Amino acid sequence: MLYGYGGHIIRIDLTSGKIVRERTDPQYMLKAIGGRGLNSLRLYEELKRDIDPLSPENMLLVAVGPLTGSLLSSSAYMTISGKSPLTGILGDSAAGGFFGPELKQAGYDQVVITGKADKPCYLVIADDHAEIREASHFWGRDIWATTTGVRMELRNNAFQIAAIGPAGENLVKFATVACNNARMCGRTGMGCLFGSKNLKAVAVRGTTPVAVAGPLTYLDLCRELDRRIIEHPEWDRRHAMGSTLLVKALNGVGILPTNHFQKGICEYVDKISGETLAEKYKVKNKSCFNCNVHCSRYYITDQAEAEGPEYETLCSYTSRIGVDDLRFALRMNAFLNRMGMDSLSSGETIGWAMECFEKGILNRDDMGGLDFTWGNKETVEKVLNLIIRREGIGDAFAEGTRSLARRFGRGTEKYAFHVKGLDMICGDPRGIKAFGLTYAIASRGADHLRAEPFFELTERYDEAERRWGIRDIANRLSNNGKAVLVEHTERQALITDCMTMCKNIGLSMDLMDFEFASRLLSAGTGLDFSQDRVDRSLRGIIDADRKMNIDFGIDSSMDTLPYRFTQEPLDEGPSKGEVVPVADMVRDYYKLRGWDEQGRPR
Amino acid sequence: MIRINPEKCTGCIRCEVSCSFFHTGRVGRSRARVKVVKIEELGIDYPVICRQCEERYCARCPESAIEIGGQGQMIISPTLCTACGTCEALCPIGAIELYEDIPYVCDLCGGEPRCVQQCNMGAIEYTPGTEESNSLKAYKKRSQGLTPEEKRLRYALDMTQSLRDEWKAMIGG
Repeated sequence: MLYGYGGHIIRIDLTSGKIVRERTDPQYMLKAIGGRGLNSLRLYEELKRDIDPLSPENMLLVAVGPLTGSLLSSSAYMTISGKSPLTGILGDSAAGGFFGPELKQAGYDQVVITGKADKPCYLVIADDHAEIREASHFWGRDIWATTTGVRMELRNNAFQIAAIGPAGENLVKFATVACNNARMCGRTGMGCLFGSKNLKAVAVRGTTPVAVAGPLTYLDLCRELDRRIIEHPEWDRRHAMGSTLLVKALNGVGILPTNHFQKGICEYVDKISGETLAEKYKVKNKSCFNCNVHCSRYYITDQAEAEGPEYETLCSYTSRIGVDDLRFALRMNAFLNRMGMDSLSSGETIGWAMECFEKGILNRDDMGGLDFTWGNKETVEKVLNLIIRREGIGDAFAEGTRSLARRFGRGTEKYAFHVKGLDMICGDPRGIKAFGLTYAIASRGADHLRAEPFFELTERYDEAERRWGIRDIANRLSNNGKAVLVEHTERQALITDCMTMCKNIGLSMDLMDFEFASRLLSAGTGLDFSQDRVDRSLRGIIDADRKMNIDFGIDSSMDTLPYRFTQEPLDEGPSKGEVVPVADMVRDYYKLRGWDEQGRPR
Repeated sequence: MIRINPEKCTGCIRCEVSCSFFHTGRVGRSRARVKVVKIEELGIDYPVICRQCEERYCARCPESAIEIGGQGQMIISPTLCTACGTCEALCPIGAIELYEDIPYVCDLCGGEPRCVQQCNMGAIEYTPGTEESNSLKAYKKRSQGLTPEEKRLRYALDMTQSLRDEWKAMIGG
C-alpha cells in the first residue's frame, strides 16, 4: 500500500458528468511530492496554454500532500490551482483549516475538475462515493449559509466544505474559495474559476485514517517539530495575535502601507493594531488542523463576529486606505469572507482609486458619484457591494486593478500596484529588499508567500554568516545576498506547500529545513525522498512554473516592481530614503536559479 | 473524569489526532474516541468524549460486551461484541461510535489520557473519579434516530450556550 498519500486522483468532468478514479503513481509523486507541486506539474503537463481562463477547458485542481492530515503539526493545507482569471498566468492559492485532511481521509491526493456544468452544482466526495449535485437553491447564498446548507442537506456536520460566495458566482476576478467559512484561498481568483464552472462548492468526507510508513520514526520527528514550535521565541506573540502582530512590527520599521504606500508609518497605528484587536475584541483563539500555535482568533464586536482577520486583510482595510476604525475593518473581514472576495485585491482597487482621487486624476463623475477621499468608509462599503454584484462602477473594479487602470488610462497605471496582474501585498518592499525581489519573480505575481524571506527581518547576523557566508542577508535594508536568500527560501516555501503544512511555521518561524523535510517525507511515505531527490524535484517544479508562465506570455521585463518602489524613496522613518534596486537582484536570482539572462530555464 | 473547557478550545483537534494515533497508529476521526464538534458560524469548538454518565446507557449491551472498569472507563470485549450497534444507538451524546465493526469509546488511556497531554490550551482536563451530577438523561430525550454526529452537534450546542452568552456580554466592555 501507499503510505502517507491518499492513494487516488479523482477526475471530474462537469460538462459530461463523467467521474474517473485513478491510482496515485508513487514514482510520479517523487517528482511532484504533492500539494502545490502536484498541481503545478499537472497543469504543466495537461493544461492547454492559450485558453481563456474562464473557458471550460481551464482546469481546476485541488491537491493535498503526502503528510497532510497526519500527526505532523499544522499539516492542514490544501492548494487550489488553475490558469488565473485575474492574471492570465499560473494561479494558485492555499488554505488551512480542515478541508485538506478530510480530502486525504477520503483517499485522494488530487481532485481534477474540468468542463462546465450546465447549471449550478456542487460536488460531494465521500470516500469511494462521488457525485455532482444540483446547487441552484444555494446559488446567491453567501459562503456561511452555503456551508451550513450543504451540511444540513447531507445531514452531516462533519463534511468539510470549500465554497464560493456571490462574488465567485458573478465572476469577480479576485473571488475567493473558503474552507471552514474563514480559511481563504484568497489570491489569483480561484473563486472566479469555481464560478466559471458553475461550481458552488465541494463537500468532502473521509473515514480512512492516515497511515504512515514508519510510525515510530515519524512520531519522533513530529515531537521534535512540536518542541521547536513551543520553544520558539515568537510563540507567545504569534499565539496572541497571529499575523496581525505585523501591523505594529512593520510600522516600527517604517513599511506599513499607509494611504496606498505613500507613507510607511501610520500615526493611528495603535487604533488598528493586532494588540488592540486581541485586547478588545478577541474572545478566544482558533486553530487549523493539528496546530499547536493556534494563531487564529475569533472576535465579536457590536457590528460583526467572525474568525480572523489576518494581517493582509486588516491592513488592506485600515492604513492602506486611510481608515482608522478597527471595528470597521473587522466588519469588512466578516463581510468579505461571506461574500467570497479577496481583501488584498479589492483593497488595492480602492487604494488606487483613492490615490487617483487625491491626485485629481479621477473625480466623482468618473467614479459613479462616489467620493474616494482617504478613509471614506461609506464609499468603501458601497463600492464593495457594487463589485460583488458587478454593478455600475463595480463592474470595472471587478476586473482587478491592472485592468481597471488600463481602462481609465490618464496615467493612472502608475498607481496600480501589481506585478503581472496580481496586486501587491501589504509590505512596502522599500524597507525589505528580499521581499521586493520575491514580489518581482514570484510565479503568481506580487506575492510574498512564494519565498517569504522573513529571515531578513530577524537580525540574525551570525546565523546568516553560518548559513550563507553573507552577514548582510540579515539586514533588511541591504540588497546584498538577497538573491541567495530568496533562491533558498523559495524552495523552502515550496517544500512546505508540497507537504502541505503552514508556511508561518515552516518558513516564517524557520522551522522546516530540507534535511528535516527529507526525513519526514521518507518516514511518512516509505519512498526514497532523499535530500537530493527532494531538491531536484523542487527545482523541477519551479522551472515548470516558469516555463508555463513563459507560455502564458510573461517575459523578464515583467520581473520588476511598480514605479513607486524602485524610484520614489520613502520620506521618513527607519526605512527613509530607500528604494528597491530590483533589476540587480533579479539578475542575480536568474543566475542562481540556473536560468538564462532572459529568465528562461535552460 | 474528563472535563471540557470550551472557552479555551481552539478546535485544533490535537486531542482527536493523538487519541487516534496512540490507539491505532493512524490519524483519523473515525478511529478517535474523542471527537471535536466545530460550529464555525458561532465560533464554537467542543470535544465530545465519554462522560461516564451515571446512567451508563451503552452498558445495556445485549451481548454483555461492555463493562465498567476500575477508573470508571468503558471496557469493550472484542470477543463478545457482535458490532450490533446498540451502544452507539443508546449513547445520547454520540460518544461511542462504530467504525469497521469496532466500537470506539474513551478508555482513559489507563489513567493518563493522551488527549489531555496533547492539549496545550488547557481545554481538556482529567481528574480521577466522577462528579456528582453526571446524568445525561436530559439528552436522552429525542436522541432516537439521530446519527452520532447529529447527537454530538446537539450536545455541543447545548454545552456552549452559556459561553456564547458570556461573549455577547463582553461586547463593548
